[in-house]
Amino acid sequence: MSELRELSPSRLAWLRFRRHRLAILAACFLVVLYTLAAFCEFISPYTPEQRNVRAINAPPMDIRFVDAQGQFHFRPFVYDLKLTINPDTWMREYEEDSSTPYPLRFFAKGVPYELWGLVPAERHLFSVDPRGPGYIHWFGTDSLGRDMFSRVLYGARVSLSIGIVGVGLTLFLGILLGGFAGYLGGIVDSVVQRITEVLQSIPTLPLWMALSAALPTAWSPITTYFGVTLILSLFGWTTLARQVRGRFLAMREEDFVVAARLLGANDSRVIFRHMLPSFSSHIITTATLAVPAMMLGETALSFLGIGLRAPVVSWGVLLQQAQNYQVIVMTPWLLLPGAFIVVTVIAFNLLGDGLRDAADPYSSLSEK
Amino acid sequence: MNPVSLLVFRFRSLLASFTLAVSLLCLAHVTVFPVSIQAAEVGYPAAWLEPAQTASQLGITSFTQSPVLDESGLPPVAQRLPDDPPVIFPNDAIGSYGGIAHIIADDRGMLIAADGLFTISPDLKTILPNLAESWYYSDDGLTLTVTLRKGLKWSDGHPLTTEDILFTVNDLQLNSDFMPVTLPDFIGLELHAIDSWTFVINFPKPRPFFINYVAQSPEYFLMPKHYFRDFHPEYTSPDVIDERMEELGFSSWSAFMTTSMQKRLFPDLVNHPTMSAFKIESLSPGLYSYERNPYYFKIDPSGQQLPYIDAVEAQDVRENEVAVAKASTGQLDFAGVRLPTQDIPLLKLGEQSSGIKVNIWNRLHGSDLSIQANMNYADKQKRELFLDVRFRRALSIAINRDEMNEIIYFGRGTPRQVTVVPGSDYFEPEFATAWAQYDVEAANALLDEIGLHDVDGDGIRELPDGSRLTLTVEYVNTETPKQVSMELVVSYWQAVGLDARQRLIDRELQYSRAVSGELEMTVWHADRTTDILFPINPDFWVPRKLAASLAMWSEWSRWYLTDGNLGEEPPPNIRQLQIWADELATTMDRERRIEIGKLILAANAENLWTIGTVGLAPQPVVTSNRLMNVVEFGLWGWDIRYTMPYHPATWYFAQ
Repeated sequence: MSELRELSPSRLAWLRFRRHRLAILAACFLVVLYTLAAFCEFISPYTPEQRNVRAINAPPMDIRFVDAQGQFHFRPFVYDLKLTINPDTWMREYEEDSSTPYPLRFFAKGVPYELWGLVPAERHLFSVDPRGPGYIHWFGTDSLGRDMFSRVLYGARVSLSIGIVGVGLTLFLGILLGGFAGYLGGIVDSVVQRITEVLQSIPTLPLWMALSAALPTAWSPITTYFGVTLILSLFGWTTLARQVRGRFLAMREEDFVVAARLLGANDSRVIFRHMLPSFSSHIITTATLAVPAMMLGETALSFLGIGLRAPVVSWGVLLQQAQNYQVIVMTPWLLLPGAFIVVTVIAFNLLGDGLRDAADPYSSLSEK
Repeated sequence: MNPVSLLVFRFRSLLASFTLAVSLLCLAHVTVFPVSIQAAEVGYPAAWLEPAQTASQLGITSFTQSPVLDESGLPPVAQRLPDDPPVIFPNDAIGSYGGIAHIIADDRGMLIAADGLFTISPDLKTILPNLAESWYYSDDGLTLTVTLRKGLKWSDGHPLTTEDILFTVNDLQLNSDFMPVTLPDFIGLELHAIDSWTFVINFPKPRPFFINYVAQSPEYFLMPKHYFRDFHPEYTSPDVIDERMEELGFSSWSAFMTTSMQKRLFPDLVNHPTMSAFKIESLSPGLYSYERNPYYFKIDPSGQQLPYIDAVEAQDVRENEVAVAKASTGQLDFAGVRLPTQDIPLLKLGEQSSGIKVNIWNRLHGSDLSIQANMNYADKQKRELFLDVRFRRALSIAINRDEMNEIIYFGRGTPRQVTVVPGSDYFEPEFATAWAQYDVEAANALLDEIGLHDVDGDGIRELPDGSRLTLTVEYVNTETPKQVSMELVVSYWQAVGLDARQRLIDRELQYSRAVSGELEMTVWHADRTTDILFPINPDFWVPRKLAASLAMWSEWSRWYLTDGNLGEEPPPNIRQLQIWADELATTMDRERRIEIGKLILAANAENLWTIGTVGLAPQPVVTSNRLMNVVEFGLWGWDIRYTMPYHPATWYFAQ
């Protein structure tokens, strides 16, 4: 037998988490997605509002390595799309013209943009020469000829961040109110509990709708964004507050807390040094699982047309454009944001699952 | 096929096709779209262009009826028809009876065309007799004598006489309890009957186009007296009326009558008599059922009483998407009003699999959008801005109409300002093209000149005093593709540094806010652009009416309507327009009329009271394969009540 080593709780948790393959995968996926969203201006070849009149409702384009003659090219390329409006069907028909390839350029100058609205730049991860007639629409275009790939990425930034920001607010409110209620007890506890009950008893969707409808239309898109986030988190904190309170109640009488208090530690020291760390893992897990709920909330509101509004691009806003029969029949690629939502929500749930298992000190390493 | 019909339908005059060629040539350099439709160019029956011949003129002596009426216990068909019924020639073939037409509620007016004293010819200019047999104007235009057909009957069998017309005008339109503000077209009218079939209207001023008004808005001229007298204090004691109103849930007899009158063709509330081809049979939430009017007065060339179709079921559908889905999957027999141009490919796709025909008609709208900035707006700074012609011009030339035409209309609309259709007597090409060229630089220069500069460097222009400038466009998304158009327009305006926003509101709100001048900017569609309505309703070019569609000058209109008692006195150039409009409607001199009409339109071309985008656009009209006799190409618009010239009563179902 080798020598015995003492493993810290966090090290143990990490070991447990590592065994959860799906959670690792989900975490990687989310890291990639958040990175893409963070640098969406750079990664997308176009800006989300840029229209291409020669590609309206164009289907996703193939990015190719092998040309029509079967020759392999190291530099990927797209073929030119020829638009004709069929005089009988009025359909915009796109035909690949294999005689005109447009090679992709990497890190080349394209449409100017401002990274995070601050840094002016014009290099894009990939693009085709904007001076020429060529274009690349990897995910196709919408009815105004806007690039869906760019829009999905810009939408990712809004939708993903609304989850994080919203959960941040939720956590803050939940821990604060739940902590107070649990630690102080008495009248504070009663008040917080009653508020929680009232909030939980109201059906969320109509309430969201009512509040969103109250958002002034004159608000700028960014203010609306924060308004919607606030609305979502104002009603999201109750569950967390309940859990935090429960923990506090249970822990208040624990020996180590009593000991700390008897040793003269003040309230904040007791709370932050002794009590919070002992269930922080639990909070992290809850928070992770709350992110997709936030995202879905935003999507639902925007889908109903009462959340974010154009020109803000979020996955919900994109789906709102796609919520009709026409899209399913004629331009199914406009439903792609929906696929992104599904995958992201699943990833968050898997990650949360893994974190919960990892955080549980009683789950054994040898199981599974 | 019946020999009479064969004979008639093969008759397509040579002269007419010559007219087609000439008119196409004339228009070729003006616009790609020949809206000066001569009916025969598209092969309409020649009879549609002239007053309908009657049974006696065509030697039709025996009449037949739909089999569903055989057991009804009604008087025989010959007694239900008028003494000498008008004969309507179908577009293609003599039809056969039967069937239920499925439509959506908004298309009721198209399938059940309004039948009034007069009707409108497909040439967009001529008024033809309908319930009236003939009329004549005195030379001074002050007297109109109208003769009704003899033996006309309401849908309950009661005869239609001049009593009904007199009741409608004298006891309703001119009754101050019922109409606290008399409709402008009725002011000063004097009506009297000569006998049961002839009545005379005396006008205070010449009204050569009064018949256009009656033809286009038949509802305002035709109410069944025998039915409504029971609700009118002139004929029934007030106590009895009060009791009835309580029963029906109305606060007063006038409220009841107003509701009934507006829905006269669609009597949702009570089963009151109609002269139209169909009468309401039942109404359940979301579904209106109509059945044939057994007393309908028209016949086909083989002596069959019209309409051919036995019944209509209209579903209440409030969303374009749902209407498109239903139409493209063959669930509707006729659809038009809720089908957006952009969905033509989807509908055409349905053509292959769902047993429908998608005909592309041409909208009569001079422009699909009439963008209006409120020149009477309460906010002083905004008002000053909107009153500045340079600002309106900048808004107009910042719009890329060609791109809009590509994106929304498949390149088949016509970029143009709000003006009359080509082919109108009042049309000049420059009215359509003035300030319609996309020119961002010039737009920016104009905005700079006004003093709207981007002071704080955020890419958005501020007002001259440095305060924030936002333009909010609020509108109803109806009839033409306004939402997608405005999405583009807003982005064009943003591109020249204007912080523009758009917001959808509902129709009631649009009306109340437009009339009270509270809309900062709004959008409507520019109908009333043909010779039927332009001379009497030059609404988009002259402030003289309060309506949901006209939000740019409510106070000047109010001033005009109240003879200067309310509202604001318009500046001299606007006042001049009002004077011209009065003369336009009253002058008997054709030359002078055309001259004034052009002056009014030229003023708009220079001043852009309202800004247009793309007009004369394709309109999809979907029919099921079994619905016959619908014209393949027609013009679609309010001016001709969409289908009125195309005789929907002659549409039938193939067996």
